[in-house]
Amino acid sequence: MNNKIEAEKELETIEINLLLEGIYRYYGYDFRNYAGPFLNRRIWNRMRAENIATISSLQERVLHDPTAMKKLFRDFSINVTEMFRDPGFFLAFRTKVVPYLREQPSIRLWHVGCSTGEEVYSMAILLHEEGLYEKTRIYATDMNEEVLKEAENGEFPLHRMQLYTRNYLAAGGTTAFSEYYSAKDNHAVFHPFLTKNVVFAQHNLATDRSFNEFHVIICRNVLIYFDKILQNRVYHLLHNSLSPSGILGLGSKEGIKFANIVNSYEEVDPIEKLYRKIK
Amino acid sequence: MKFKTKLYIGFGFLFGLFITSYLVFIFVMEQLDKNTGEVVDNYEMLYLANTIESQMGTFSRESIGTIADPPPELVDQLDKNKEEAISNIHKAIAALERLDSRESSQELIQRLKEMSETYEAIEEEADQLRAEGNMEALKTLYWYEGRSAREEMMEVAKELQVLQQQTAAEKLNQSSDMYSLLKKMIVIYALVGFAIGVGMAIWTMRSITGNLNKVTTVMNKVAFRKSNKWPRIDISSKDEIGDIAVAFNEMAGTLEAHAREEEKLKHAAEEQSWLKTKVAEVATMYPGIDNLETLAQRFITKVTPMVGASYGVFYIRTSVDGEETFQKQAAYAYNHEDPAKDSFRLGEGIIGQCALEKRAMLMDHVPENYIRITSGLGSASPANVLVVPAEFQGEVLAVIELATLEPFKEGEKQLLKEVMGGIGINIKSIMRHMQIEKLLEESQSLTEELQLQQEELRTVNEQLEEQYENSEQKTKELEKIKLILEEKAQQLTLNSQYKSEFLANMSHELRTPLNSLLILAQMLAENASGNLTDKQVEYAKTIFSSGNDLLRLINDILDIAKVEAGKMEVIFEDVNIKDVQTFVETQFAPLAREKGVQLSVQLADELPETIYTDKQRLQQVLMNLLSNAFKFTHEGIVSLRVEKAQNKAARGPYTEADIAFIVKDTGIGIPKHKQEEIFEAFKQADGTISRKYGGTGLGLSISREIAHLLGGSIEVQSAEHQGSTFTLRVPQDQPHQQPEQSAASAEVAAGLPPQIEEPPPIKESHAAGSEKRSNSKTALLEGKKILIVDDDMRNIFALTTALESYHVDVLFAENGREGIDMLNGNPDIDLVLMDIMMPEINGFEAIRLIRKQAEFEQLPIIALTAKAMKDDRKRCIEAGASDYISKPVNLEQLFSTMRVWLYR
Repeated sequence: MNNKIEAEKELETIEINLLLEGIYRYYGYDFRNYAGPFLNRRIWNRMRAENIATISSLQERVLHDPTAMKKLFRDFSINVTEMFRDPGFFLAFRTKVVPYLREQPSIRLWHVGCSTGEEVYSMAILLHEEGLYEKTRIYATDMNEEVLKEAENGEFPLHRMQLYTRNYLAAGGTTAFSEYYSAKDNHAVFHPFLTKNVVFAQHNLATDRSFNEFHVIICRNVLIYFDKILQNRVYHLLHNSLSPSGILGLGSKEGIKFANIVNSYEEVDPIEKLYRKIK
Repeated sequence: MKFKTKLYIGFGFLFGLFITSYLVFIFVMEQLDKNTGEVVDNYEMLYLANTIESQMGTFSRESIGTIADPPPELVDQLDKNKEEAISNIHKAIAALERLDSRESSQELIQRLKEMSETYEAIEEEADQLRAEGNMEALKTLYWYEGRSAREEMMEVAKELQVLQQQTAAEKLNQSSDMYSLLKKMIVIYALVGFAIGVGMAIWTMRSITGNLNKVTTVMNKVAFRKSNKWPRIDISSKDEIGDIAVAFNEMAGTLEAHAREEEKLKHAAEEQSWLKTKVAEVATMYPGIDNLETLAQRFITKVTPMVGASYGVFYIRTSVDGEETFQKQAAYAYNHEDPAKDSFRLGEGIIGQCALEKRAMLMDHVPENYIRITSGLGSASPANVLVVPAEFQGEVLAVIELATLEPFKEGEKQLLKEVMGGIGINIKSIMRHMQIEKLLEESQSLTEELQLQQEELRTVNEQLEEQYENSEQKTKELEKIKLILEEKAQQLTLNSQYKSEFLANMSHELRTPLNSLLILAQMLAENASGNLTDKQVEYAKTIFSSGNDLLRLINDILDIAKVEAGKMEVIFEDVNIKDVQTFVETQFAPLAREKGVQLSVQLADELPETIYTDKQRLQQVLMNLLSNAFKFTHEGIVSLRVEKAQNKAARGPYTEADIAFIVKDTGIGIPKHKQEEIFEAFKQADGTISRKYGGTGLGLSISREIAHLLGGSIEVQSAEHQGSTFTLRVPQDQPHQQPEQSAASAEVAAGLPPQIEEPPPIKESHAAGSEKRSNSKTALLEGKKILIVDDDMRNIFALTTALESYHVDVLFAENGREGIDMLNGNPDIDLVLMDIMMPEINGFEAIRLIRKQAEFEQLPIIALTAKAMKDDRKRCIEAGASDYISKPVNLEQLFSTMRVWLYR
């Protein structure tokens, strides 16, 4: 009985590896170092939705049908975000990082895995309120171009705005949140001045390299999708992209304690996962 | 000779010399003094002699005076002087006699004495004479006798004087001689004494300082020498210096011994300190190491050379598949070609044995080919191989093996023992640390995984929500449609009711003339009077049969109309199944015979005797089913079987208490896709059927309706050319409640897709959004009830005007109290716009009061604050406002905010 289960597990692993390898070779998307259980769940989810019995059949479909690939890609690309997500993070950023940024003649900020852009707009609002936005350039990247387009639109569903307003207030917002948007039907459309200094670009952490040196890198809830190998690779990539004394912001459940770059950072706010590069 | 003695001799000699010289001086002084005394005595004697002479003269002179007849007043004076002179002479003679003891002098003194006595006698005579006045005698006496006595006395006195003078001169000479002798003596003595003193001093000093110098030289040598070899003083003399030398030599000896002892102790201390240093050196290596590989490697690299070994291997305890083994973790100067094993079980080999016994093991005589310590230049086999365990709390955690070219020294062994004690605890702590680290890391990954799952769930949730929204929307649309439909249905029902009533009436109206028509036609066809031709009879029959058809049709229409109008009545009663059987047999046996089709009616064994239903309607349905069966069956068999219903194929809330009437034929069958249609009114399986088989197509429809009325159903199973099976189910007892509705809900349930349908792509949802967008600008606002609380009527007016253009229902209140009252009066208010600066109860207070009421906890309240007051915003939120907006109000911003908070 156990042997059978193990054999099935092994086969599953092989099939997943083959699928990912195939996707990488054919489409160029590298999901090979994504977190195993995550891929597993997503793949099975797709298979259930498509009524496919084996991963191999999914592989066949994905390799021969680009729309199937698109669907799977969408499954792999989780776009959970919200404005001022974890307000404490933004509050800590305001109180502990902004003073450092004030000293800089210009600020380059890389928002890794920006998804549909909610947090990018949040950061823009924060910097605007602190009077730093004019000298800031935000590079917002994601591997999914679809969500980037959405991010550029800056339209967020109206039904989430109540939560966002609460977040904004908890994150130390200094004015009325409604100053930044106008409601159009079911969407809140954010004022375009917020994206004046934002560059939205496609960037894949698994395959692409660093493209600049930044004063701040925000990479929240991105690394959790990766396995240890890719995590460490990405940590290096981020490390090499960060200027001396640059700030690294991670997700609330992430932490560099077990990353191989841990000794190069000091804690700015350990609870909100803000770190400063020290060497 | 002792130094003391020497000093005694030297100083004694000098002291003797000093005393001698003192005695000599005293003696000399005495002599001098004696001489001086003699001289003084001589001088006195000389003076006395002179006194005698001078007094003699005085006496003589006075005597003369007396003779020369002196005035009487002077006689006494003269006598007095004479007596004084004589007494002086006597005194002098006595003194002289006492002083000059010399013979010659004494003789002279004696003579003088005698003479003086003689003279005195003369004098007395003289006095007498004078007293007698015999002056002549007196003169004679004086001149003769007295004079010679006096002269004699004078002479003796003079002799005495000379003698005294001579003696004085002699004495002076003698004294002068003595003085020069003494002078000579002193000079000589001084010279000799000085010479001897100097000699003595030199001798003493030399004899003392010489030895002392020797001592100082040696001592100086000591001062400049650091070695523990002390110089010795080579003095054989038996004096104090000698003693000092001996003492010094003894001291040197002791010091040397002491120094040796000290050296030994120092050595031991150094060794101890070396040990401690090395142990500390090893210990300081530990902090910062957080894995066993590094620990093992650093330890073996450090300790092996430290204890003079040239080869070392570090085995660490690891648990492989539950078995404890000692695995090679690190090595020093390891030769990879060695046949050494990498892992040992407990008790296996020396390593394992050492771990088992928990003690170090030393191998002295290592055979030539045991292991070889190699360098570039050569190789050698070790002298010693030492295997040492590292323990912690009685548990062996590691074993190290060391090999040396030379035997281990005691210190090295000691060191090894010490450091092994230290590493045990470190291994343990690293193991624990690693374990904790691993657990932490695991927990971190779990946290991340959790976060990941959470995000996934959120995505799924969002997708579901979206789907739900879509379906919600669809449901809403459906509901709307349903409503419309219902309305229509109602209308239709109404219509159809009218229609049915109309039809019912019509049918009645139709039937009456038709009946008469049929009767007349029948009468004609009977041709009772026989006056009709065959042709005419045929016509009449045709009229009759067509009329019958028409009547049936009208009846059917009437039935269906009744059913639809809800006017069909059912009367439930106990119906004997046997009666049903009889009814069917009597009704259809002739037809069966006529068509040459077999009819079979079977009743299952387990059937109850009666069922509770409407007999007439049941028979109507069975008639319909059976006549259909006969209609479409040209050969074979038509059967009716009555049995308890099988539940498995059942759809709906049927129970085993249902009775199934199964009508089976071997006729033309019904294609699958038509099977549902045949139950609809005016429909037949095929448009051509009615032409071929006749019939209105209402039969099954009516049957189904009746079945429903009876609380049952009709199902069909059929395949083309293979016959059909119609199953009528009716409940045995009470009819089920609302069977239709149950069936409907069952349908809905069954109609749900078996899986979560994939969410529509975002694009599409956007498209949907933009569709919605086109709704109008009033979306989300229209029809909402909004309360404005503001004390400024102009504001209220302005806002009301603006809001009403969005079809918003606006209520207003002029202060907080009024606002709350208004809210309580209109609990359906969707949103409150609350001005902050108001008299009576201000905005903050009003919001707080509103929030206190449980039903308004979630009510959106937008505070209107003056832009200048930064603090107000915070206070608004604290008071419980959902959001705030600054005055003067930007309408677009206000509507945006309202949309956000009105969104449901």
